[in-house]
Amino acid sequence: MTQPTTPISRRSILRTGAGAALAVPFAGSLLTSCSTKPASTAPANKTVTVTSYGGSYNDQLTKTILKPFEKKTGIRSTLLANTSLAALKTQVHSGDVQWDLVELTAPEYVQAVNEDLLEKFDYGIISDKGLPSYAKAEYGIKYLSFLFVMAWDQKHIPDGQAPKNWAQFFDQGKYPTKRSVYGQLSDSSVLEAARLAEGVPFDKIYPLDVDAALRYLAKHPGRDKLIYHTANQEPVQQLTSGEVTLSTSFNNRINAARKDGARLNFSSSNGVLAGDYFVVPKGSRNKEAAFRLMNFMSNDADAGADFDQTTNLTLANTPALAKLPPAVADTLPTSPKLADSILVRDDKWWAENLKATEQRFKLWQAGS
Amino acid sequence: MAGGKLIMPLAAAAPAQACDTSRGRRFRVRGTWLLLLAPIAAFDAILFLTPLGTLVSSSMQNQAYQRVLEDPLVIKSLINTFEISAVSTLVTIVSGYLLAWAIWRSSALTRVVLFALVLLPFWTGVLVKNFAWAVLLQDNGLVNDALQGLGFTDHPLTLLHNRFAVVLGMVHYLLPYAVFPIFAALAAIDNRLELAARSLGAGELSVFRRVILPLTVPGVSAAGLLVFIISTGFFITPVVLGGPGDQMIANQIDFYTMELTDFAGASALALVLTAIVSVLVAVYQRILRAGGAHEVG
Repeated sequence: MTQPTTPISRRSILRTGAGAALAVPFAGSLLTSCSTKPASTAPANKTVTVTSYGGSYNDQLTKTILKPFEKKTGIRSTLLANTSLAALKTQVHSGDVQWDLVELTAPEYVQAVNEDLLEKFDYGIISDKGLPSYAKAEYGIKYLSFLFVMAWDQKHIPDGQAPKNWAQFFDQGKYPTKRSVYGQLSDSSVLEAARLAEGVPFDKIYPLDVDAALRYLAKHPGRDKLIYHTANQEPVQQLTSGEVTLSTSFNNRINAARKDGARLNFSSSNGVLAGDYFVVPKGSRNKEAAFRLMNFMSNDADAGADFDQTTNLTLANTPALAKLPPAVADTLPTSPKLADSILVRDDKWWAENLKATEQRFKLWQAGS
Repeated sequence: MAGGKLIMPLAAAAPAQACDTSRGRRFRVRGTWLLLLAPIAAFDAILFLTPLGTLVSSSMQNQAYQRVLEDPLVIKSLINTFEISAVSTLVTIVSGYLLAWAIWRSSALTRVVLFALVLLPFWTGVLVKNFAWAVLLQDNGLVNDALQGLGFTDHPLTLLHNRFAVVLGMVHYLLPYAVFPIFAALAAIDNRLELAARSLGAGELSVFRRVILPLTVPGVSAAGLLVFIISTGFFITPVVLGGPGDQMIANQIDFYTMELTDFAGASALALVLTAIVSVLVAVYQRILRAGGAHEVG
């Protein structure tokens, strides 16, 4: 009734048409642009389209953040599972931006900033009171910290015989089985794991010696003993179906699977601490709503504490940390108790070397 | 009479020749037929030519061709693509021929059952089929359990994430595309030819080699071309069933798009693949035409 009427101009139709035509060469992004149109007809800035990584993680995000946010502000959110820098880039280039808040890995964030794909964050709307200093950035917030860990199937490897470090994880003599590792380096720290396995101390990992890491993996466990997963929920399936008994994963995924009754376990020790950013694509239609959601995420203590407790990840929200019982706080990726036994991923190194290293890694996988 | 039947499978193979029958009608509806083509022309322009144009212009940026063709991974994937496609096509055509033959020779009821066995997988999504194979072939899958249970081997064989699995998954998908044209060619054979051959003293093998096989060559060629072209574009099967060494060109396009976000490189790769396949098709059709003329003559 009081809804602002936006007359559909010829230009906007042309623009949409051109956008669709541009999207066609990339069949994948065509699919996403079809499936990501927010269905609601709510007035502008009363809805926000968020994209993340799917699986148990999306369920947790909905439960702990998006639902309470809607209750408090009336802003409805649509959560999608197909986040990708490529799709974001296509949307921005075609001028048909469907997403408002997009999760990117740290190196992808730097790339998106360099390619001018993002809106500046409005810290007038987002209070930075609850934001830890590492999280606040010009074009995004590093809202999430997680641990890249080794996980195992308890039916085949009882916790007592589980790997205590990466050297044991890759030791073919100790575990004559296949291992699944995350194949996309933007998020995966498998090369760091290989260097750690070789005995390189935490502070000497970067700049990363990629060739040495690959030489190690070729010897332990050997190319034919590695299989690669590309989705975060895949290792849980591979471990529970018995396809592999060891896999790399992230602490929250294994925790969620354990809560669902899967007999899996992981070790935080020797994990790699990394983080994801939330960004707003240039030309987002609901950027104000997106910023309000960011403000809620980093300042609402109750929602933040619920998120931390449910996911076992650290949300960039300091008031929430204060509310957590110590038993939970001590197991979070950013806990000072873990600081000495984990490696902090060097985002800067990865931002500069991601593409070349990805090509090198793919070539190595293919046998050269 | 027999001559007409000889050409039939050939006509099915080369759509250009199928148009011959409509040529007579064209004069009666002079001009109007062009109008009838307008919707499809518009459809093509919007959904095929425009994106293709975008692809071409996008591939011209940042020396994409040079960059892509200097990438050893791309070269390896190109070789993989043609090796895997050639092997899959060969296996598909041989097994498709046997299957078509069995359908052709069987009674009405068996024929229905066999056709159903070909059609059911044809109607099943490729992803479903691929994941079914992945479940069957994994280290503790049904196939390995059976092999170990029967005492053929004492440790699980590596059946998954290798080229064998890729070819298997592709053949499963491609089989109907071979069976139908070959069956059409077989069904078009005048059975009196076989009787004539037998009456002149030809045995089963001789009838096949000297009568049936030459008459089905056009059907087999058509099936081969169809299957090979579909093979070169496979994407999901190498992902699900293959190892890192079995990635095909479509997987590289995906890598360039999704991981490297190098759209120019991905466009260049897509056009390189299109160009190579177009050349192959042209060469193939030339051979086919020469072969067909020889058959009829």
